[in-house]
Amino acid sequence: MKNLIIEARQLEKKYLTDTIETTALAGVDVSIAAGEFVAVMGPSGCGKSTLLNIMGMLDAPSGGNLLFMGNEIGRATERQRAQLRKQNLGFIFQSFNLIDELTVEENVTLPLVYQGVPQAEIKTRVSEALERVGIAHRRNHFPQQLSGGQQQRVAIARAVIGKPKLILADEPTGNLDSVHGREVMQLLSELNEAGATIVMVTHSPSDAEYAHRIINLFDGQVITERSAVAVANF
Amino acid sequence: MLKIYFLTALRSLLRNKSYSVLNIMGLALGITCSILLFLVIKYELSYDAFHTKADRIYRLNVDSNYEDGVFKTTSIHFPAVGILRSNNPGFEKITQLYGEEGGQITVPGNGKVAPRFFREEAGVGFVEPEYMDLFDFDTGGQDIRPLLREPNTIILTQSKADLYFPGEEAVGKTVKFNNTLTLKVAAVIPDFPTNTDFPFAYLISYASLKNYSPYDLTSWNSLVSNHTAFALLPEHSDVKAMEKNINTTLRKHMPEKRKANEVITLQPLDDIHFNADYGTYSQRTISKEVIWSMALVGLFLVITACINFINLATAQAIKRAKEVGIRKVMGSNQWQLMLQFLGETFIITLMATLISVILTELALPYLNQLLELKITFGIWNNPALQLFLALQIILVTLFAGLYPAFVLSRFQPITALRSRISVQQVAGISLRRALVVVQFTICQVLIICTFIVNEQMLYFRNKDLGFNKDAVVTSFLPQGQAIKLKALRHELLSNPAVENVTFGIAPPAGNITSLTNFGFNNSREDLPFQANLKFVDENYLDVFGLKLIAGRKFKDSENADANDSTLRVLINETMRRKLQLKSPEDALGKSITLSGGRTKGIILGVVEDFHQASLHDPIDPIFLVAQPQSYLYMMAKINVRHNKEALKHLEQVWYKAYPDDVFNYEFLDESIARFYQDEQRQSTLFKVFSFIAIFIGCLGLYGLISFMAAQRTKEIGIRKVMGASILNITILFSKEFVKLVLIAFLVAAPIAYYLMQLWLQDFTYRISIGYWAFILAGIATLVIALVTISFQAIKAALRNPIYSLKTE
Repeated sequence: MKNLIIEARQLEKKYLTDTIETTALAGVDVSIAAGEFVAVMGPSGCGKSTLLNIMGMLDAPSGGNLLFMGNEIGRATERQRAQLRKQNLGFIFQSFNLIDELTVEENVTLPLVYQGVPQAEIKTRVSEALERVGIAHRRNHFPQQLSGGQQQRVAIARAVIGKPKLILADEPTGNLDSVHGREVMQLLSELNEAGATIVMVTHSPSDAEYAHRIINLFDGQVITERSAVAVANF
Repeated sequence: MLKIYFLTALRSLLRNKSYSVLNIMGLALGITCSILLFLVIKYELSYDAFHTKADRIYRLNVDSNYEDGVFKTTSIHFPAVGILRSNNPGFEKITQLYGEEGGQITVPGNGKVAPRFFREEAGVGFVEPEYMDLFDFDTGGQDIRPLLREPNTIILTQSKADLYFPGEEAVGKTVKFNNTLTLKVAAVIPDFPTNTDFPFAYLISYASLKNYSPYDLTSWNSLVSNHTAFALLPEHSDVKAMEKNINTTLRKHMPEKRKANEVITLQPLDDIHFNADYGTYSQRTISKEVIWSMALVGLFLVITACINFINLATAQAIKRAKEVGIRKVMGSNQWQLMLQFLGETFIITLMATLISVILTELALPYLNQLLELKITFGIWNNPALQLFLALQIILVTLFAGLYPAFVLSRFQPITALRSRISVQQVAGISLRRALVVVQFTICQVLIICTFIVNEQMLYFRNKDLGFNKDAVVTSFLPQGQAIKLKALRHELLSNPAVENVTFGIAPPAGNITSLTNFGFNNSREDLPFQANLKFVDENYLDVFGLKLIAGRKFKDSENADANDSTLRVLINETMRRKLQLKSPEDALGKSITLSGGRTKGIILGVVEDFHQASLHDPIDPIFLVAQPQSYLYMMAKINVRHNKEALKHLEQVWYKAYPDDVFNYEFLDESIARFYQDEQRQSTLFKVFSFIAIFIGCLGLYGLISFMAAQRTKEIGIRKVMGASILNITILFSKEFVKLVLIAFLVAAPIAYYLMQLWLQDFTYRISIGYWAFILAGIATLVIALVTISFQAIKAALRNPIYSLKTE
């Protein structure tokens, strides 16, 4: 049996407002093995982001089971989830979500600060991460001074610096032009080859080509699951 | 981690400059006021607290009980201290002193140099050596007690020594006091501190008093408020028992009359600065109520500033939502975020406090001038102030920062990241509303109080006192010089710019009061109330326009008749009523007896009531009697159109008559205005602080409205596209705040009414609280709020709708 990072069984998520109940996920079964690069696709509103948020422990499921490294975390408290997040997960967002008041270097430092990593170690790791995404020369700039592609590379550096077991990327190229988008995908691909496990939500078939496996969602359910090569053959 | 927090805070402040400026300014203003008020309060509380035995020192007061109340005085009978010394009822030390409000020092000249005169307004103390045993005034290391034992000895403070003998050694020199006493300078000591109710410019040995005082120092007859006594009690004394012992001892020697209604009471030293019932040598007391209301005003101002902060910070929170989301995703927990935001508040508070320190330094001279205090700031060597600032920073940080920090850190990461946080979510709109109501309530209470205090001040200034106080120049007559007055008057009137002149114990309303017991209508028994005895000459009524309603005035010649010792007396209406005479005419010809029957008088006429003191006090029953040896004042009515000429003439005539005495005059209306100095100061303080409270409130309102305008850009755009006018949009914004101002008014009005009712109770003559002050305050707040709101609302409304819609 493969070494599973995350496993969802009959995962459900319902949103309740005053009058309406919306089902975002209706019994989703998904498992992600270590070292995999998985793309989640589907039309707007199909539940991709909800699934990603739940896997990223930013949100709690309404039903079903969610196992992280074999442990049930579906009913973990916010505090426990925050703890798991900071030790195991890295995030990449469509809109980069860098803190405007912090420099590139300070933004990348953030996860290590919250993990309580010693100062000396932070320094070397940040340098390494910045080198790796090719943005070291801009370390003292503020996010607004960078192009979208550069900002996303900073966000990637921030996502990997804590050596997470799983990287979750939500439309990482959604705000980028094709050239920058390709750069970012290449970077993710390299990270994956170096051993990182990645789950990526995307609308873009060409981005999805980089993944090993594609999960298609529709109305909160998994409709197909196939290898990326198949997509290329469509 | 701290560094990153600090940097984020600083950069976020810099990014939102206008928000930061509003916040820091508002807080700085509030904190400045609180520091200033703290300094004032601390200063007032420090009065005579520096004496090491302060907690064991008591003043001996005499309370006289009469049918219409207790007459309280700080004075003690002249023989009392001597008796208590030889029959010590159990205290460690006792001392008596005689204080004068001011006087003239003459540095005698010699053949070459003309004598020099110095009029001193500061106090003069005739003190015993024991005075220095009780009180710890700095003597520069000298033991001045032996010097104070000698008669005709004066001890100068350094500043006076420098003034009288510049560049010379003062010790050993001779000066004259009030042209009566010739005194040898025995020592020079450092100036007295400013925070004492013994504001003496120099000390004269008590042993010199017998050569100076107009009173018989061995007699029980007079009870003079200048003459007081202080006792040092042993530790853990039973004060009540001591009071009883003192009374028992003294009653063995007291005349029967005094025994009947006088009781000696002990007043702790730490009460004298705060108890207006008795008074002090510094002529000022401040009630604890006033002190606490100052503290309350300070607290209110800080709360107002904190509310600004909470409102602005929670409104601003939306902008920070993304950051909160990111930090949470990166692994921050709520606690860490709270600490971060509290840290930011701390930085803002710290900056505001630093600015406040500078503002305080700048404002303090004005405050000192306003309150006539001598407060120094000295933040570096003022541990109490440092502690106050540190505590204030912590409390403000917590009060202002806790709620916004809680709100911000509570955001769910996904919602925060998607910018789905709405204003409603950030802070219960109702909470924000409540805070604005609190702020407006504070403002309106202050405004209403300002209006009412101001009205009472106007009333003081304009109320008819029953006599003419305008264009009257008054001057103290030199001691023992109340002779030659007829000739002096003649000279003074030789210039038509001087319209009339009178001599008497004091102007109709003044600080000098002489009370006496008396019998009426041949009765040997004294009546159970005292008369206020005013010694005046025949011109007094004319100069002050006192109205005679029955009988006739007396003539000076009648009283000077050696064959007829009967006093000619005029009474006022209050006296007539107290004597239970039905009409003024009934009083005419009735007799009175003074000094235990030794002096007889006959009532010649009745005058209409006039105020013989400030409007704090009711009108006394009064006798007007001619007695030249008791005249202390020259009072001249001058022609205002020839003001300068009149004063010049008065001065010339004065120096001809009294070449050795400084002509130190004052206009009567000014000295009367001084009765209300304390209230005037309070009124000015109220004005300043309500202005600041309103200003802080406006800062907050301005920030809040600008933020709301930014939030509702899209709504405004849509409304404009649909045809809304600028007025419509302004109304849209104003509506809610108008409602809040009105609610605040409903809360403020009864509070202000209650407070002012309380304040006015101190005055026997006072305004009744009219509704106009409330209406005006309500309208004023509304207008101020609307102006603040419209500025931003109109700006938002003027924006091109295409642009505002695009930004969404």
